[in-house]
Formats: sequence, structure tokens, C-alpha cells
Amino acid sequence: MLKHDVVIVGAGLAGLRACVELRKKGIDAIIVSKVYPTRSHSGAAQGGVNAAFDENDSWESHFFDTVKGSDYLGDQDAIEILTSEAPANILELQRMGVVFNRNDLGGIAQRPFGGQSFPRSCYYADAVGHMMLHGLFDNVLKYKTKILYEYFVTSLVVDNGHVSGVVAYDIKNGKFEGIAAKAVLFATGGYGQVYSSNTNALINTGDGMAVSIKAGVPLMDMEFVQFHPTTLKSTGILVTEGARGEGAYLLNSLGVRFMSKYAPKAMELAPRDVVARAEQTEINEGRGVDGAILLDVRHLGKERIMERLPQIMQLSIDFEGVNPIYEPIPIRPGMHYSMGGIKTDNNGRTVIQGYYSAGESACVSVHGANRLGGNSLLDTVVFGRRAGVDIAEYLKDAAFTKFDESLIKRDEEIFEKLKKSNGKERHGLLKAELQEEMRANVGVFREEKAMKKAVKKIEELKERAKNIGVDDKSKLFNTDIVEAFEFSNILLIAEVIANGAILRKESRGAHYRNDYPERDDENWLKHTLATLDAQGNIKFDFSEVTITKFKPQPRTY
Amino acid sequence: MEFKVRAYRFNPEIDDKPYYKEYAVQDFPGMTVLNALMKIKSEIDGTLSFRRSCRSAICGSCAMKINGISKLACKTQVNPEITKFGIINVEPLANMPVVRDLIVEQESFFDKIKEVRPYLLGQRDDEEHYKFHALKEGEKIIQPVYYKSEFQNLTGNNDTPNCILCECCYSECGGVVGNKNYLGPAALAKLYRYSEDPRDNDRNGSRLVNGSKPDGMWDCVHCQACEEFCPKGISPVKGIVKMHEKAIKNSINFSSGAKHIISIAKSIGETGRLDEVKVAFDTGGITGLINDLPMAFGAGLKGKIPPHQA
Repeated sequence: MLKHDVVIVGAGLAGLRACVELRKKGIDAIIVSKVYPTRSHSGAAQGGVNAAFDENDSWESHFFDTVKGSDYLGDQDAIEILTSEAPANILELQRMGVVFNRNDLGGIAQRPFGGQSFPRSCYYADAVGHMMLHGLFDNVLKYKTKILYEYFVTSLVVDNGHVSGVVAYDIKNGKFEGIAAKAVLFATGGYGQVYSSNTNALINTGDGMAVSIKAGVPLMDMEFVQFHPTTLKSTGILVTEGARGEGAYLLNSLGVRFMSKYAPKAMELAPRDVVARAEQTEINEGRGVDGAILLDVRHLGKERIMERLPQIMQLSIDFEGVNPIYEPIPIRPGMHYSMGGIKTDNNGRTVIQGYYSAGESACVSVHGANRLGGNSLLDTVVFGRRAGVDIAEYLKDAAFTKFDESLIKRDEEIFEKLKKSNGKERHGLLKAELQEEMRANVGVFREEKAMKKAVKKIEELKERAKNIGVDDKSKLFNTDIVEAFEFSNILLIAEVIANGAILRKESRGAHYRNDYPERDDENWLKHTLATLDAQGNIKFDFSEVTITKFKPQPRTY
Repeated sequence: MEFKVRAYRFNPEIDDKPYYKEYAVQDFPGMTVLNALMKIKSEIDGTLSFRRSCRSAICGSCAMKINGISKLACKTQVNPEITKFGIINVEPLANMPVVRDLIVEQESFFDKIKEVRPYLLGQRDDEEHYKFHALKEGEKIIQPVYYKSEFQNLTGNNDTPNCILCECCYSECGGVVGNKNYLGPAALAKLYRYSEDPRDNDRNGSRLVNGSKPDGMWDCVHCQACEEFCPKGISPVKGIVKMHEKAIKNSINFSSGAKHIISIAKSIGETGRLDEVKVAFDTGGITGLINDLPMAFGAGLKGKIPPHQA
């Protein structure tokens, strides 16, 4: 049994940022991650991170844009923190060694992003996530942090409302390990693998959210799933919003910039929910190009593409066989981000004492019903940092609580049982069925009948999952068993999403219902909270949205 | 089209020795080697083990040898490989011990990254006074000023900060083949990245001093493999050579590598030709000469004199 003051699960930006905050104070914090930290999916973020620096810009304007972008579902006290702490957070990253492109005055260069009324996205070419991830990881190394990588967390251990640690599976050695801690932070990222055609890494299976809801922590606003407007047609790989920030056009099969119809002012730089729906409408109405839309950057010229969008150019060539200097890129909407997650307060605290969450796995909520581009990286560093600061305070009078070691045994038995099973179902194939069902029926456009069908499908898959066989019986680096367990996590998350989406009878932000096409502030200006009852059934509760400055208004762009 | 994947298999828990296993896979347009491996794993054989994460060439997980060359499986298209080789041969990366199948032990690689102190040393003065604070209403923040020119070696498309630590270079590195303790191209690229950072406050040049120690930057054999095989188009060797130049300019010449270069320059400058015995003496001193003797004889007998040891 290992014992540390703080266990940080997940080593993307939020986890690393919290870790730096704790380690620089000399606190005994360790990182536990399913993959080596630099493999985390934060590294794939491309376009930018928002902060108001320009003298003609203001954080208050960023505040309003984010509230409006969230379709008024974001909690305004949290968004105020996000935007007023943004510039200082970016400068702190710069101080730690992160490189940002420069403007002519020697400040940080900024590009326009969707739904932002001012160019305020700081960037490093089109690989700012990579730059931030490696920069923060280098700082974690600086403070000589213990890192348990390729450890897969299977349970959160709670004693009487206080966290006592986690149970983790050491993938390399095939051993379960209990890790006792006074505080635990989950920065475990999103669940992109719930959907087919997503921009996410294969590791994004919603593990932290699934472990949390099973431990009694509510998941908030899970029906809000962001579909990114520009993902490569054949692979779903992300094409940064920065491309449109640099001036790219969206064209339909007639060669028309169709966004003029849907967002006459903002055009291509409308928020993601608006653009994704516009694209899907064009495709559905027969103005797509082989089921895709065209993203045209040719008019930017070779030099600018090479300087500002080199990764996009390479990805288009490698994965789509298209050189964007000479041809438009075929793209379509793809699942990208989870607005919902583990319910936390403004310091990352959850309903369990000493248990925190930050980043995409958490829901503060700053993104509400729709996240603006460039706000997710910001979310990770602002709330990762705040969680770190708060945990340091919390530790002052926190103690280790009783660690229920039977949970280690329980998880071990689940794995052993899976390993011994010779069932005929293959988890990889079940996963593909689930992903396709979710894309088709709980996607960009939703309606009751289709979603009920999806729920039925999930029920069927849950039954069939009891009959999963695992080929790999070995203890050593058994990725087969890990994937089988991940599948149980995405199945649970899919169930929460689909049921939440059926429940919410309105259209708000990324959640669009053909059968309820209007926003309904009277009945639905509230957060949904999902928990599990004793039988494992999902039940929903609601909580108020915090509104401080901006009363809900119609949302047009 | 159906094609064959021939995978290196080894699970020390059950296998006495490594073997190869063939799988028949049906392709689809744009299929990558990673797609093929995933298809095998989910449909045919769940025991085939490999690392993978982002599938878009940014996380560095799925580096492996594909038809003999260290590459990212996610970035490698099946079609051109089949056209060229008729098969997809996948093996684990070299220069690291195999854990299982296509998975290698990376600990020594990551330890070497830690060894170069991959972070800023100290702070520039105008940064030190900065205190974190949330902005009040109407408040603006004042940024420290850094000009584009200060970051000129760090913000290009093929510059070292773009390294994803995928280990392709390390797997192909001739220096690591000869000396397991050699830091290798990725760690040295990291060293170069921080030594070029205008914010780095390395007052006494300790980066280049540490980098000049045995197993450091002077152990590069200039084979250029790191540049040739980097999936992100980075050239660690260019950075290494720039650090060599910088070290010599700053008189950090205690290493045998630096002495070697200085002696060659001197010999050619003074006599117009290379006095190999003198260069060997200047590089390693009398002990170095004696230590090199057996190798020189051995090489001589086979008709070969390695340039570094001559």
C-alpha cells in the first residue's frame, strides 16, 4: 500500500498545473496516469488559449463572450474567475518556460477565435497544447515529482464522506495497488471515445467521470457534448478553429460561404455549436461534398499557412491526402469536448471532502451549454492552479482516513473474472457499435424517438457486455483487459449522456432538439445532476445556475 | 485489398523467445498502420500489445519499427508500405529493452531527458517581480516584452520545442548503439531548446558544461539518423552541432570531443594536413593514446581505422 499526501490522477494540463502548484510548496504530491504524462490528450490542442491582453480588449468582454457562448448556462461567478485570472495565468505559464508567438510590440500574439469579440487567443503556431503540456511537464520534472505512469485508476476510496485514496492497476506488472491519500485530484479528461468520428485520443474513455459517479459524486450537465465543426472527413482528426481564426472559409458543394445564412455577422467565427449545426444542415439538405463540407485556406497563401498552420497542413497531407495550399480540406462536425463532468465548486472541490477535480473531467461550470474555442486550455490552467492552491490549504488540517482495502480485492476480482471469461463478445466490436449509435442518435441534432432507441441499444450492449471474452490472460502489460474495463466506463457515460439529453426538453447551446427547438429559460435554466441509485440506475436532480451580471438574452451571432 | 501484417511477438511471461505472427487484414481508403493494428486487436487477436493514444502524430505513443524504420504507426499509411515492401512488418523500437510485443521499456530514455535539466534556470530580472493576481474591474495587465528575434530558434516549424518524445530518433541513433549511456538526440534537443531560450538564466554556462561531460553532446557520431527519421521534421543533430560551436566559443573545452576538434583545426591551420597521432594525443592525452592502442591494432588488422579513435 502506497501513501502520499496528494494523489493527482491524470497528467494532462489540469493535473500538471495543479501538481506544479503543490510541488513548488514542497508538498508530497504524486502523479498517477494511465499513460506517460506527455502522451496526454491536452497535447493535441491546436489553436489557442484565451486571455484579454490588448489595451482595446478587456477581461470583462471575455467574461460576457463566454457567458453568451455558454448560452447562459455557465455559472457567472466561475466565468468571472476564469476570465479575470486568465492574463495572469498565461504570464505565469510564460514564466515557467512556455513559448508563445510574439506580436510586433514584443507581447504575446493573439488570433481571433469563434464567439470572441476580440482577437484574444494566444498561440504557438497551431500546437499550443503541445507547447503547454511539455512546458508544464518540464516543471513537474524540475520539482522531482514521483510519477506512476501506466497505472490505471479503477476506484475512488471514500470513508464517511472523506476521500481516503484510490485503487490503481499497474498495467506493466498486472498488479492492483492501493494508494492512500489525504487529498485526491481527478484531472482525467473527457470521454471522446463514446462517439465514433471524434477528435479525441483513444485513451479518452471517461474513466474519471465513471469512477466518480460510481463513488457517489454527481456528474453535471452531461447532455452537453461539443461537436467541433472542423474535423477531417475520414479520420475525425481535429483541424483547429485557428484556421478560421486566420481567415479560412467554409464552403458547401455550390462553393458558397453558407455561414452568411446562419451567422451573418460572425460568419465562420460563430461559436462551435452554431457552425456545427450549420454544416450538418448543409450536408443533410444535399449541399455537402461526399458527406463533408470544405474548409478553404488557399487564399491565405503558402507562407502564412506554413507559418501559422504547419501542423494542419501536415495532418491534411498525412491523413486526408490533401495539401491545403492547393486544395480545400474536406471536413465535418465531430465529437470534440465534454462541457459536463464531475460537479465541482470554484476551487475544484466536490461533494466528498478532499476529493477534487479539474479540467475537462470537471464541470465548474464555465462552459455551460457550449464551450468557446480557446477556453478549454484556459480552464485547465486556471482551475488546475486553483485546485492546487486549495489542496495546499486543505492539507493543513487534513488527515489520512480509513482506507477500505476490500476495494482493492473487489477490483482485482472484476479483472480476474474478465480474464477468465471465454465469452463470445469482443469489447472492441461492442465499442464500435456503441460509438456509432451515439453518433447517429445522440449527436448534433437530437429527438426523443432516436434517443430512446439509443438508450435501448445501450441496454442491449450492457447485457451483451456480460458475455465479453478477453483474449489476453497474461499479467504483463495486458492492454486487452484495460480496454475491456474502459469499455464498461464509456458504456456508463453514454447512458448518462443519453438519458440526460432525453430529459432536457429544450434546445440550448450544443444540445439541440428537433422536437424542442427553442431555449426554455423558464423551465430549463438549470443544471442537471446525475447520480446512481443503489441498483445502479441513473437518477437526475437539478441545481440553480449562478447569474451575477448578465441576464439571459436571445443568442445571435 | 487484403494485406499481411507480420508482427514481432514476445511475452516473456509465456514465450521462451520472440517470434513473428502474421495477420491478414482488409484495408480501407486512408488506412494507417495503427488502424491495421487496432483492427487486428479488436477483431482477431486481443493479445497483440502496443501503445497508442492520440492517433494524430502529436502524443508520440505509437512509435515502432515499420518495415525496418522507426516511425509513428498512426502517421504511416498502409498503401505505400505495401507497394514498396508487400507486407507490413512491425517490430519494437531499438536501443531499448522489449517489455512485450511492440512495447519497449522507456525508463532510461526518460531518465536522460531529466538529466539535461529540461526547464528554465532562474528567471530574468523583469519577471522576478511579477506576482500572480486576478484582475479587478477595468484593470489591465502589463506584459514583459520579448521580441520575435529572441525566440527565433524556438518558434519555427521544425524547431526543437516541437519534439514529442516519441523515441524514433533514439531508436535509430548510432551513438546510442555504441554507448548505452549516451544521452541521445531527444535529450540533447531538449538541452538545446532550453539553452536557446532567452528567459533561461544560466549564469555560468552550466548547461554546456554539463552537456560536455562524458556521454553528452560530444558523443554524437554525426550519423544524421535523428534528423532523417524524426516524424516531426526536427533536426536534433543541428542543435547538437550548434552547441558544439557555442561550447568552443565559450572555451568550454575540457571534453575530449572539444579537444579533438580544436586539435584538428590547429593541425590543419598550422601544417595544412591532419597529424592523426598528434590529434589523438591532444584528445585523450597519453592514457587516451594507450587506451586506444588495442582498438587501433584491432582495426588496423581488419584494415579499418575509425575516424573518432584514430
